[in-house]
Amino acid sequence: MFLASKEILHNKARYLLVVVTFVLISYLVFFLTGLATGLARNNRTAIDALPGNYVLMSKYANKNLLSSVVTEDQYDQVASKDTALLGQMTIVAENPKTNKKLNSNIFGINLQGKLKPTVTSGRLPTKNSEVLADDSVTYYGLKRGDRITLNGSNQKYHIVGLTHDRRFATVPVFYTTLATFRQVKYGQSRVHNVSAVVSTRKMTDLPKHTEQITRATLINNIPGYTAQTSTFMLMIGAMIGITLLIIGIFMYILTIQKVAMYGVMRAQGIRTSAIIAALFWQILILAVVGVGIGIGLLALTEVGLPKTIPFYSDTMLLSMIAGALIVMSLVGGLFSLRRILHIDPLEAIGGE
Amino acid sequence: MTTSLVALHQVTKTYGSGHTAVTALHPTDFALQAGEFATVIGPSGSGKTTLLTIVGSLQQPSSGQVLINGQDTTDFSERRRTDLRFNTFGFMLQASNLIPFLTVKDQLALVDRFNHHKQHEMSMTDLFTMLGITDLANAYPAALSGGERQRVSIARALYNDPPIILADEPTASLDTSRAMKVVDLLGDIAHKMNRGVVMITHDTRLLDPVDTVYEMRDGHLTTLDSAGLAKIRAAAL
Repeated sequence: MFLASKEILHNKARYLLVVVTFVLISYLVFFLTGLATGLARNNRTAIDALPGNYVLMSKYANKNLLSSVVTEDQYDQVASKDTALLGQMTIVAENPKTNKKLNSNIFGINLQGKLKPTVTSGRLPTKNSEVLADDSVTYYGLKRGDRITLNGSNQKYHIVGLTHDRRFATVPVFYTTLATFRQVKYGQSRVHNVSAVVSTRKMTDLPKHTEQITRATLINNIPGYTAQTSTFMLMIGAMIGITLLIIGIFMYILTIQKVAMYGVMRAQGIRTSAIIAALFWQILILAVVGVGIGIGLLALTEVGLPKTIPFYSDTMLLSMIAGALIVMSLVGGLFSLRRILHIDPLEAIGGE
Repeated sequence: MTTSLVALHQVTKTYGSGHTAVTALHPTDFALQAGEFATVIGPSGSGKTTLLTIVGSLQQPSSGQVLINGQDTTDFSERRRTDLRFNTFGFMLQASNLIPFLTVKDQLALVDRFNHHKQHEMSMTDLFTMLGITDLANAYPAALSGGERQRVSIARALYNDPPIILADEPTASLDTSRAMKVVDLLGDIAHKMNRGVVMITHDTRLLDPVDTVYEMRDGHLTTLDSAGLAKIRAAAL
């Protein structure tokens, strides 16, 4: 610690470069992580909010909620106090006064039942012509009190309240009555189909042509979800791997520059272990400072970022990545270890 | 008779092997007592640095026996030799043997970090006063002159109270008057502080305080009497 910090403080410019490298890498990784988390959340928050872990869908739907249709016969067979019906449809909402159009979903539910969303402002709908919207619609020019059309309907729907963090397949969700869902999807409310049955308990005795999946499986089968998250994971993983190389090579170059000095220290009877300790202390100090500044920059960015950009900083995930970056840079120090172990005190003498 | 600080018995050093083998040191006996200031002179390439590195446990001899304080160090592990160097020898090396990013004070403080803050015979302040470098305590090596650097090296070498000081060409980069001061200082360390001092040099003008003069030629070490010394001095002029 003594040698490590004294050297950093004396060669500020040189070590500033290492810190800047850490800052840039960690900021990039954190920013990518924030975007990945934000995008993933935009796909799934409405599903995460479902009160049950089990979902019944039509078998042909390939676990994709968008394609699933569960008929009345089917859902009646599993109906219990643990289940609730969900009708999902991808729609375009439009405010005809402003011509503002917005890609979104409707979730048709029993508004007094298990799936009842938490209202953050306004109130729950009480009529078929009223809807509750995810508050992210306000980022796109809609607001509470607007009267909107759903897929060009003649009927206007009144946004009477807002809820929070309810998005599905990257777009906001409007909660409607089941009757409204059926009206929009089938043109009439006499067709009693829904998209899925949500249950808090594992359902037994499944109806024909249906299958039961978990919430996590549903999320992974949202079209595009797995592709997006795995792309991001790959990029983040690669960046963490690159950290090892960049920092490892950087520290190795600094180490070879100091071989003569280490030779002198070895001649004076300073143990190799003390030199190795100095190397790893140095990496630890530089990594913690660099990653710390990276986190600071991320916090600043988050304040300045428009809300329409899907960005979310998950403290737990970011701490894990910060830890991984620091561990990787310490692993990078192993490149220099071999060189230090081979330092010959005779190098201090030179000459003969 | 007291035990010699250093005793070499029939020590040789050969680099390489077979056809390409080069003998740097032929069978050599050497002894150093406490309070003795010995110097080894000779042309470069004669093997005097090899001798110093074997005395200082920086490398093992090819054959023969090295006794430090009466203890045979021939079979010491690298780790034991490292600790032996730390506790027994103070090195003054030809190249800068100061750590560039430590102030003069911290060069010595570093020693404290590895010797568990033992009590020193001379405190840092006393050493700095004796060597006239009190004002330089907070300076970095790059800001020091050659003479100042050598005095700091001496302070660094003496700080851990080693019984033996090994100096490799300590006067190489100094003008005559500064070189003389350094050599006088090494003499005082031997005579007043009762340490054993070995200095390697090729400067024969600076041998006044020296007790024993050795000459190294092609790996053969011989003791010079005053007549031999006079001859060498005459040749140097």
